[in-house]
Amino acid sequence: MSAILEAFRFKRKDSFMHRLDPRTTLYMAVGFSILGMFFIEIVPLLMILGLILLFIALARSLRQWTRSLRGLAVLAVFILVINTLYAPLSLAISTVLRLIVLMSAFSLFFLTVHPDDFALALVKLHVPYDFAFAFSMAVRYVPTIATETETIRDAQMSRGLELERGNLIRKVRNYLPILIPIIVSSIRRALQVAESLESRAFGATPKRTSLHELRLRKRDVALMVFTTFIVGLTLYVVFVAPVSCPGLLPDWFHWALPPM
Amino acid sequence: MIIFENVWFSYTPGFPVLRDVSLQIAPGEVVGLMGENGAGKTTLVKHINGLLKPTQGAVYVDGMNTRLTSTATLARKVGFVFQNADHQLFADTLEDEVAFALHNLRFPKGEIKRRVARYLKLFDLTRYRGQSPFLLSGGERKRLALASVLCVQPSVLILDEPTQAQDANQKRVLLEFMDSFRRSNHTLLLVTHDVEFAVQAVDRLLILSQGRLLADGKPREILSNPSLLHRARLLPPQLTQFAHQLGQYVPTFPKDIISLREAVTAVNRLLSAKK
Repeated sequence: MSAILEAFRFKRKDSFMHRLDPRTTLYMAVGFSILGMFFIEIVPLLMILGLILLFIALARSLRQWTRSLRGLAVLAVFILVINTLYAPLSLAISTVLRLIVLMSAFSLFFLTVHPDDFALALVKLHVPYDFAFAFSMAVRYVPTIATETETIRDAQMSRGLELERGNLIRKVRNYLPILIPIIVSSIRRALQVAESLESRAFGATPKRTSLHELRLRKRDVALMVFTTFIVGLTLYVVFVAPVSCPGLLPDWFHWALPPM
Repeated sequence: MIIFENVWFSYTPGFPVLRDVSLQIAPGEVVGLMGENGAGKTTLVKHINGLLKPTQGAVYVDGMNTRLTSTATLARKVGFVFQNADHQLFADTLEDEVAFALHNLRFPKGEIKRRVARYLKLFDLTRYRGQSPFLLSGGERKRLALASVLCVQPSVLILDEPTQAQDANQKRVLLEFMDSFRRSNHTLLLVTHDVEFAVQAVDRLLILSQGRLLADGKPREILSNPSLLHRARLLPPQLTQFAHQLGQYVPTFPKDIISLREAVTAVNRLLSAKK
């Protein structure tokens, strides 16, 4: 499970993508995810994935992405099998591709944006600071809780817990001895963090200033324009072109596996 | 009998956390495991109940190779009390909490009932038996965690930092309990930073440093060896430090003192010699 999270964990690196304003990266992530939603054909989805991978490569983070993909493999196979039960194989494949596109689009964001900068970006987008801060805290505690989950699992397995035992309902119930301690200790920690924040005068001034200000540069504007252009073009190709000039899209664009 | 045979272990390939650890622990031994943060103490003990399997080498518990045995099977023999009691308490009542391991290991109903009652009483928790574990105080939660592991009556018990955040009274209770456990020929392994506690509790010390077993011997020999302790980044007990510093003024003063009684005897002898 933890391998999937690899593509959503910020790593400090010096790359073109890391230097972008978080608002730009967020815009791109949302834009590319929307792109993925417009298509159910394999070819365009692969093209979108290629585009995203280009940017992940620019962020010098392809290795983390690959590792996550390996973690996603089990889920992907599961979706593939379930879908082939009532849909053509091509559709099953493109459903999996869509999931990978979504995952990759947001991994582009989370790989390159420090949680603190994300909070700053939210504030710039007029989200109240308390909420923005709560969000960056949530991201910050994901690895902590992941480590804690492993410790709890070890502790319960030492008491003879067998996660794989029993039928499906029983298997779900087997996780209770792990889930409950996670929830309880997370609540305990939340209360402690709240006290520690208050003792450091959190929220003392209504208007906060920050040490470094976010600034949109030329490259940010350029990338936002690029994303807008791509999304706009897609909208045109999907909704307008089939009516106004049929035959614009070559046949290979709709390529699918022959039905079985 | 616990046997480690040239055990190497790494979480990430190329970064070994345990390096060529070999040791044997006989039934009835009370062993302390000490070492700096990140030395590999917890990693080492997790091999004993099969939570971790060696990358190279082998670990045997009563003749069973841990690589071939599940943690659930080993749980009958090896009890493991984790550092933080909150990482294992989850049940609705104290009784359910103690019964959890017994259910998992498929003990008969009558036996479960008997043991739950017995172990709640042993740790002075009977009056809360129908309550939620989360309403207990920190010390009580620690005791409950202990009861919920011990009720299986394992022949090997591993305690990870049992004295952390415990008051003097709680430590005394723990010491008494460990003593009774030892007398029934059970094996106890104590992972700790608390050298003052270790010196009272154990009869053998293992020192781990950067994944290597640096020393294995009697607490007295190890704790009065300053260069060894320095390498392992450990401080000797205060009384040993006292003996060393006093020894700079009085060369005849014994330097291998580890207990209060020894220190009193030595000082007394010194005073009567002066007269």
